[in-house]
Amino acid sequence: MSVAHPDRYQWAWLLFGFWLLPAYADLPPLTHGLTPTETPEEAPPLRFPTLDDEIIDIKDLKGRVVLVNFWATWCPPCRREMPSLEQLYQMAGEKGVIVLAVNIGEDIDTVFPFLGQVDPSPTFPILFDSDSGSLAQWKVKGLPTTFVVGPDGRLAYRAVGGREFSHPDVVRQLLDLLPDEAGK
Amino acid sequence: MNRLLLLLALLLMSSASSAQTRTVDPDSGVVTWETRVHGVTLSLTQILPDQARAFYLNRGMTAEAVESYANACVYMTVLRNDEAPGVVRFRLADWSVVSGDRSRPPIGVDEWLVRLEAYALTKAALIAFRWAQFPPEQAYQPGGDWNQGMLTTGLAPNADFDLVARWDVAGETYEGVLRHVRCAP
Repeated sequence: MSVAHPDRYQWAWLLFGFWLLPAYADLPPLTHGLTPTETPEEAPPLRFPTLDDEIIDIKDLKGRVVLVNFWATWCPPCRREMPSLEQLYQMAGEKGVIVLAVNIGEDIDTVFPFLGQVDPSPTFPILFDSDSGSLAQWKVKGLPTTFVVGPDGRLAYRAVGGREFSHPDVVRQLLDLLPDEAGK
Repeated sequence: MNRLLLLLALLLMSSASSAQTRTVDPDSGVVTWETRVHGVTLSLTQILPDQARAFYLNRGMTAEAVESYANACVYMTVLRNDEAPGVVRFRLADWSVVSGDRSRPPIGVDEWLVRLEAYALTKAALIAFRWAQFPPEQAYQPGGDWNQGMLTTGLAPNADFDLVARWDVAGETYEGVLRHVRCAP
């Protein structure tokens, strides 16, 4: 079978190399609801290095509300929701909401340039799952998928597909999980 | 009273039936087909072979490995539970690509991964490939759960087909059909 040389596709590399899908497609809107889990289970293990090579273990975050977002740079809805994750973190981080964005299968050389393009640029921890093993543990079937772990360490909410995390409905759902915020 | 019942029945039928749209990107000529039925949105957007090659070459796949995939009639696929009466559950293996007198499911990601074993690809390339595909099965909660991913029919360029997507809500099976979808040239 004859296979064309990659240089033939250089134009396409430039136009589409970083995006999964063509820019011309009408992209579906990001939604803004998180679904409560039917039976709140204990959060699966999650322990990975960050950009700074610091190890973060979700076990050490009990008592906080932790939003765990599984993503990759080549996934369009993941890219689209990333600014709203930072906005959420800026609104709710000091109140006790932690955002962990778990990158699937990519390296720092790929992820770091992407983060520089995001506005506002993420200040929350980016974790690296180089072999994608967390996806099976967390029963993820597509990217992006996001979970919210309550202060008790149990899964409180799930969202499949891109979301607008800075939407007031989402912020309220997260803040309501905090013991000090409940009932406000 | 009978007229009222007839009107009600017609309204219910129209809300359950789909209005398929077809839009063409003026710059690229790429076509998107979309339908909204039973509270679910389904759409297919052509991905040109060069676009598929570019994407996977940039993810670390080799030109040899990506070639048959790029020519397998690839679509960006979106399925979203906007307002179905419950959790939408599906398996891609239950969907049908109907072309002429032939009907078969889309090519599954597992089948592609078996085919790619021959090319000694890196782990990173295989992970990107695996997770860029439309999920082989999924459950969408009402109110906006959705996915976007690549789906291949295995048909030849310019082939015409109907896609019959099937999903369950609370034990009931529903269908969304996109008619006269055309593979990219």
